[in-house]
Amino acid sequence: MGGKVTCTLGEVKNRADLIVYWGGNPAECHPRHFTKYTLTQKGKFIPKGRKDRTMILVDIRETPSAKAADIFLQVRPNKDFEMLSILRALIKGQRVHAERVAETGLTLEQLTDFAERMKKARFGVLFFGMGLSMTRGKHMNSAALLSLAAELNAFTKFVAMPMRGHGNVTGGDVIMRWTTGYPFGVNLSRGYPRFNPGEFSTVDLLLRGDNDAALILGADPGATMPQPAIDHLARIPTIVLDPKVTHTSRLSRVHITTAATGISAPGTVYRMDEIPLPLRPPLKSPYPTDEEVVRRIYKAVAKKPMWLPPEEPAAKG
Amino acid sequence: MELTITKNATCTFCGCVCDDIELHSDAERIVETKRACILGESWFRNHTAERLYPDALIDGKPATVDEAVEAAAEYLYNAHLPLVYGLSNVTCETQREAVALTEMIGGVVDSHTSL
Repeated sequence: MGGKVTCTLGEVKNRADLIVYWGGNPAECHPRHFTKYTLTQKGKFIPKGRKDRTMILVDIRETPSAKAADIFLQVRPNKDFEMLSILRALIKGQRVHAERVAETGLTLEQLTDFAERMKKARFGVLFFGMGLSMTRGKHMNSAALLSLAAELNAFTKFVAMPMRGHGNVTGGDVIMRWTTGYPFGVNLSRGYPRFNPGEFSTVDLLLRGDNDAALILGADPGATMPQPAIDHLARIPTIVLDPKVTHTSRLSRVHITTAATGISAPGTVYRMDEIPLPLRPPLKSPYPTDEEVVRRIYKAVAKKPMWLPPEEPAAKG
Repeated sequence: MELTITKNATCTFCGCVCDDIELHSDAERIVETKRACILGESWFRNHTAERLYPDALIDGKPATVDEAVEAAAEYLYNAHLPLVYGLSNVTCETQREAVALTEMIGGVVDSHTSL
């Protein structure tokens, strides 16, 4: 789990009496999160369901999720890190500067009340979305929130969980951790894994033009990445595996149509709390699965002579 | 035509991965998605078992899967630092194969997490 203080969604359902969503909009992006896992379900220690739970939403604007919240805290854009730092001070009873509080767009009363509610909860959970982890501060924001959750355990039981977007992106982290020891952006060019976000993460590699070929599967960067990164994908030989001809397919040299995961391709997928679940595909696709195509590419590469580094020129002397 | 009912099907659209969906399908498409949310319903209805696209494309022209696999292998084999990216909407079994392939071609493997 990478050291984060977390739990499964089943524990949230059965125990959580304080639920905080930070920088996420589950009502529109994860529509069944409230009803299946968190707010409205009755749990073993939450006999009255929604009545036994308090929900606090922190976001920069009032999204449709605010309707489901008991308390909505509108933080000023790009002030999440400051707000988290103030909360971390308040739970420890430290003094905070009035002008620092004013920066966040909230009052000291609101923040003190939030801090007290977190300390008094029997089981609290902080769900955080891309509104926190993808805005100014990025991974430092996530780190501050995870520290807040860890520090709250001096007073009560508290956990944190990222609201993961796309289907099996959690599985990607798990599989890369299992096979290489690192969760993403793993460079295997030296024959052993190296991890350095910012250097070996895709957007940085593409912006610098480091890659001279790309295999894209289960993603459509041609629709989501910054334009200079897409331009580089169009320059180099790009290979796409996808159930549809995507934006990325149109700029690629090779596209292979594959069966759709979970609809016509079987396998395993991880939920956002790192619980693996089997797929039950109802349809039979005329196309091969991604798994089969990747394995066939592997076999085709394996047939070629092994690559050896060019010989070092003999030392002069 | 008789509909096939798939109970406890798993939806892979978002990170919730709801595994209590009941799907009714004929040979080609899913016609009913019980308990799925609005996003899940459009996800299941959007993908069919029809042959809507060519098996493969090389430089925009239809090709066989065999030819495309060979072409892909040739590009990846010849690259100094190939990138294997995405891995979101594929199974864990595929991700495992993708890491093995990356190791063999000496590349970088990365997912949406890095964005």
